[in-house]
Amino acid sequence: MNFVRSNRVPTLQAIRQTFVWCLAALAIEPALTLLSEGKGELAAADFEREIAPLLVTRCVKCHNASEPSGELDLTTFSSVTTGGDSGPAVMPGKPESSLLLTRVRSREMPPKDEGTALSKVEIERLEAWVEKGASWPRGRVLDEFDVTTDLRAGRDWWSLKPIVRPQTPIGEDLNWSYPIDAFVRRRLDAENLTPSSPASRARIIRRAKFALLGIPPTPEEIQAFENDPSPLAYEKLVDRYLASPRYGERWARHWLDVVGFGESEGYEKNKLRPHAWPYRDYVIQSLNADKPYDRFSMEQIAGDQLGADVATSFLVGGGNDTVTTLVKEARLQQRYNDLDNMVATTGSTFLGLSLGCGRCHNHKFDPISQADYYRMLAVVRGVHHGNRSMLFNDGDGTQTSLRNEIARIDEALAKLNRRIDDLEEPRASVGKIKARRSAVNVFYNVERFAPVRARFVRFTITDTNEKAPVIDELEIYSSRDPERNLALASEKTKSVASDVNKDGKNPYQQTRHVQDGSYGVGFSWVGKESGKGWVQLRLRKPQEIDRVVWSSDRYGRKTDGLATEYKLEVALRPGKWQLVARSADRHPLQPGCAAKPQRSPDFLPEADAKHYRELVTRRQELEQQLNAVTQAQTLKEKTADEKKKTEEKNKGDKSKKGTGPQTPQAYAGVFHHRPPRTQRLHRGQVLDPREDIRPGSISGVGELFELDVDSPDGERRMGFARWLTSHKNPLTARVLVNRLWHYHFGRGLVETPSNFGFHGGKPSHPKLLDWLASELIDSGWSIKHMHRLIVLSATYQQSSVANPEAREIDSTSRFLWRFPPRRLEAEPIRDAVLAISGLLRLRMGGPGFSAFEPNLSHVKVYTPKTKFSDEDFRRMVYQTKPRMEKDATFGEFDCPDASGVAPQRAISTTALQALNLLNSPFMVEQAQRFAERVEAERPANVPAQVRHAFWLALGRTPESEELTDCVDLIQKHGLAVFCRVLFNANEFLYLN
Amino acid sequence: MHLLSPSGLRLLDRRAFLYGTAGSMSSIALCKLLSEEGLMAAENDPIRPEVRSETPLAARPSHFPGRAKRVLMIFCSGAISQIDTFDYKPEIPRFHNKEMPGVGDIKLFQSIPGTVTKSPWEFKPRGDCGKYASDMLPHLAELVDEMCFIHSMTSRTNTHGPGENFMSTGFVLDGAPSIGSWTTYALGSENSNLPAFVAIADPRGVPQAGPNNWASGFLPAVFQGTPFNMQKTIPHLDRPNAFTGEADVASRALLQRLNERHLLRNPGDTQLAARIASYELAAKLQLSAPEVSDLSQESAAIHHFYGTDSHNKLKAGFARNCILARRLLERGVRFVQLFNGAYQSGGTGTANWDGHAKLKEQYDVHAPILDQPAAALLQDMKKCGLLEDTLVVFTTEFGRLPFYQKTTMMAENDFGRDHNPHAFTVWLAGAGVKTPFTYGQTDDFSFKVVENETTVYDLHATILHILGLNHERLTFKYNGIERRLTDVHGHVVKEVLS
Repeated sequence: MNFVRSNRVPTLQAIRQTFVWCLAALAIEPALTLLSEGKGELAAADFEREIAPLLVTRCVKCHNASEPSGELDLTTFSSVTTGGDSGPAVMPGKPESSLLLTRVRSREMPPKDEGTALSKVEIERLEAWVEKGASWPRGRVLDEFDVTTDLRAGRDWWSLKPIVRPQTPIGEDLNWSYPIDAFVRRRLDAENLTPSSPASRARIIRRAKFALLGIPPTPEEIQAFENDPSPLAYEKLVDRYLASPRYGERWARHWLDVVGFGESEGYEKNKLRPHAWPYRDYVIQSLNADKPYDRFSMEQIAGDQLGADVATSFLVGGGNDTVTTLVKEARLQQRYNDLDNMVATTGSTFLGLSLGCGRCHNHKFDPISQADYYRMLAVVRGVHHGNRSMLFNDGDGTQTSLRNEIARIDEALAKLNRRIDDLEEPRASVGKIKARRSAVNVFYNVERFAPVRARFVRFTITDTNEKAPVIDELEIYSSRDPERNLALASEKTKSVASDVNKDGKNPYQQTRHVQDGSYGVGFSWVGKESGKGWVQLRLRKPQEIDRVVWSSDRYGRKTDGLATEYKLEVALRPGKWQLVARSADRHPLQPGCAAKPQRSPDFLPEADAKHYRELVTRRQELEQQLNAVTQAQTLKEKTADEKKKTEEKNKGDKSKKGTGPQTPQAYAGVFHHRPPRTQRLHRGQVLDPREDIRPGSISGVGELFELDVDSPDGERRMGFARWLTSHKNPLTARVLVNRLWHYHFGRGLVETPSNFGFHGGKPSHPKLLDWLASELIDSGWSIKHMHRLIVLSATYQQSSVANPEAREIDSTSRFLWRFPPRRLEAEPIRDAVLAISGLLRLRMGGPGFSAFEPNLSHVKVYTPKTKFSDEDFRRMVYQTKPRMEKDATFGEFDCPDASGVAPQRAISTTALQALNLLNSPFMVEQAQRFAERVEAERPANVPAQVRHAFWLALGRTPESEELTDCVDLIQKHGLAVFCRVLFNANEFLYLN
Repeated sequence: MHLLSPSGLRLLDRRAFLYGTAGSMSSIALCKLLSEEGLMAAENDPIRPEVRSETPLAARPSHFPGRAKRVLMIFCSGAISQIDTFDYKPEIPRFHNKEMPGVGDIKLFQSIPGTVTKSPWEFKPRGDCGKYASDMLPHLAELVDEMCFIHSMTSRTNTHGPGENFMSTGFVLDGAPSIGSWTTYALGSENSNLPAFVAIADPRGVPQAGPNNWASGFLPAVFQGTPFNMQKTIPHLDRPNAFTGEADVASRALLQRLNERHLLRNPGDTQLAARIASYELAAKLQLSAPEVSDLSQESAAIHHFYGTDSHNKLKAGFARNCILARRLLERGVRFVQLFNGAYQSGGTGTANWDGHAKLKEQYDVHAPILDQPAAALLQDMKKCGLLEDTLVVFTTEFGRLPFYQKTTMMAENDFGRDHNPHAFTVWLAGAGVKTPFTYGQTDDFSFKVVENETTVYDLHATILHILGLNHERLTFKYNGIERRLTDVHGHVVKEVLS
């Protein structure tokens, strides 16, 4: 029998079956007996209750289908009775001959370090089951992910269960009857704790403004709030804050932490990514607009399909090892590292799951199979690092409406395009031209011709769109084996070319790259002469072939060198060339369209072709309008000052004169329209691919979705985005509300905001978490609604003063008997310093400012700035964020360095923090400017100056002793010395 | 009157409850079972050091008595060639300019492999033990009796940044805590006036993986390495000129008073007390850091011995860094990284050990910078007794190949070597290791390891072991996972322990 067991992994179908069985087993009991395998009469429900858990928790971890230990698979009836290396594990009716029982009785199994031995009762239960005929529900496949055990989470793990809106508890304290408070109060009561009294208005306003906007309240604001007689004063305040553009800036920083946003490549080169910043603006704008979180999430996975191009920066937000290497394995490794980063970040950001383990094996602790991991990897398989041209900065919404219309057209075109692809692939024409094929593009061009026997294939280029010809891959196929590229060097095919750009000195431009199975600029043949050249392949033996596929850069980064005039010939012997395809029957390439495939409708029925052409024309018009609007917008945004600067800079540079605004770019990824098939990599080894895997979702979460192995990139990501935000997916909403809670209280209801799996924290208030999640969904995924609920709660408004008794029970205030005080993070400290000194600049959007001196060399050298200008006084969220390099003054305050995701920040206290706040040039300047401000606003009256400075920095009047101390210092050493002290005060740095 | 606090009373209540409801034989059995379980688990349980927020760097006990109290890691950035330094291969000259026998299709990092190329430096037996070492590093070569060589090191990557990350943090990717951070997290510091973990960059600049070499990753920032050297001091250490010394003192006094009053209003918040303490440490650091960097306290003989008086400015600079390293270790700094080699600038191999082309010419520049100062450091540490309880690790990110690199060969004797993650050499010295000793072997060409492969995880596990730490139990819980320096890998190389 030709049955390779080790290659089997649980198929989706099997998983679905399991699922159906579980449900069925619960629903109908005795009827199922008839469907059993084996002889016994055990009802399916009894099997599920008595036998399945034993096997699943004790045996199946090692004895499963994917890599069965001792070749023994204990997941199906047939595999149990067939057995493994030592023979059948179970012989129905014969407990004495059943190895399964022998092994568990002798305690040989399960092995000591893999699990606890079976109890006598359990062994007897198994015996009885075998004795009675080992009944097994038909088709039931056991799965180690079925149930949660002491050692791992199963599909019944708490965070994977559907969200059910819980009843709000009813308590006696009317002040704590608001839903959030009622849940918190119930827990406090259970722990014998009482809530703290409400904090003063001055505390509350400082807390709320820092939490929502990240800057301190002004003295006027505080006084107005304290004196506002309205019972709705606080609500009005919160609404005002939520409407402020500062809100998006504050909360975008949290989101950027979660996704690991960085503006350089990372690794040893760590070059800047000058077009990464638009994503920051996208996040800020989305938050300010209270974009529904489901939409916000979808856009980050598939924004290009939804009119939010920039959003997909999320996918390529991680570092990228840009060092190229000739080792195929290393290259593949780099590529899979990129893909892994996308999968892992998507998992941690939206699902709160650590998926990385699935790269090499089934997750050891969470119900995530290796196949699940590769299904998600297949979703992003077409995504590559890089910039994409796009349009953004929508002023009055004109762009959005234009783009929506374009998107509608694109949807219609996409449908027609699929038909064209089906129709067109047959036949290049070498005779009279009846219908024209699509113009060439850099990504992927197919030449299909009548089957012909050939040994030689010659591709002769007589013109290119510009410069010397480039071919990154030339593939040859036969209809007999349509997946097998005969041109590969591994097929023993040889290649020659007219010439090579750099005569062998440059290892990256050699002829052999047309047949190395690797794509992109680094792995292409580049000819020597502009506009012409040829490549010829010799197959190992004559074969019947019918298709050639070629491209100049499948990643679409390089747009020159694309063959626009060419012929394709084949021969059995050199010299006897036969023309099989040529460029003449293709539409000419439109300028600027090399990387924008333009399909030809010629093969469609006339009516459809006409419709197609109309759509294309309309689309062009719309795009022109859009370009005009965008350029006008861009110009408007450039202040006169900046324009002058640019002009001056370009004075001596003739090449730059007269160039209009460039098409905007963003580091939002490059999409490969036809991603290759994805295979599961055995043990994660890139050189050991196994079975094909379809793009799809995690099988145990929400409702499954799955696509065809060859489905186009856009469909994959759209499908995944829909699954992600489906109401049936319980994780997305739970994870988000927990993040919001985390940032408001310093700790989430689940302590591990990006890990809701087995090793994550368990929710301190599970019902509250679900209540919040339901509320999020029911509010139309409104994040601002959630903020409002949280900050208006009595829980949030409690005083932070510690009650010693409560502290003994719950020192960290996990149950929220007080508002947990904490140090401000780096960004609000810096922003607050600037706000207080009066220097904070509130210009929003655009490229960030740098914390480092400009660096003209290609080497990553980051020298901290010591002189600062107006641009540097913008909010810190706009500080360009290279990986691994932190702000010289504030980086030390546990500021993440974007080398990875940072779902929670440490809060540490170091001597270097003290030195930075005391002595750094930035802080010294700020202390002086603060002093100048105070002097200007309260001239020549030292006590008034102290009072004013106190109000600005701490939001209160100094006590009389403090006043005396401070006046004394100012009189001896000046105002700036005193201002420096205030910036270092604990009271200034802590939120309570 | 009750003598117990309310919480104590509640505790009693709960106990009473337990006894009341489950006070039977079965519950006693259960307790017994639980305690046994607990005991069994304890042997493998994570040991997360208790870090008090007011004194995060206080000295903490090791898991078991360690041989070393501190570590000096000399890191040759750029991948120093084992073939041209310590991994002596008499077969290589025989195959000079010939194909290496018995290897198939070799894929290299960025080049096409050329023929086997012998080292341009001569190997000779050295010391009492007669270990062969090349003339490239003559001073260090003479100290082989003090060294414990591991010739069988392998890496998981063949690119520099990830390679340095791997050696320094145990992870190829950016963002994991450095081994120095793990060490100070576990053991704290013996000196409350200086940083617990110092990274001394090369005078030419930072190494390839930059600050990731000494980053604290997900560990609290207090455990990150503080980068400074004789060329660049701790940032913001000095009182700014804008304020007089008197003003500085007075403002700190005021700050102290304000903070204390604030603490009174928020009693018992340890974070606030910790911040007050951090300002005290900062003040101490302002005194002790200049002191430790003040090499004028060293004798002229010492300066000469290390080579700070060399005309070669880079050598003199590195020599000063070596003296600094010793002074830090003497003062109880727990972990010192000493880098030799910087980030590449102005062409391959000019600023570090990355000899892809013109290896001879470049190593003739780099070797003298490293050799005398590092050898002096080792000898000096021995003389003053530091080697008794300090572990020295001489390392790099990976090795180099026995063949020349075809694409960069311009002329005869103008060759370079490409990266080799399959074999490289590190040596250990000082506390806890056997010397002279050689562990592990490569094949006849130093191309691949053939005996006792030692991974970076193994090296890390061994370093922690010598410090008295169990690498499998030293953990930090981050995002729900018990993170370790050695991830899920690593075995202590017992053979090298003394």
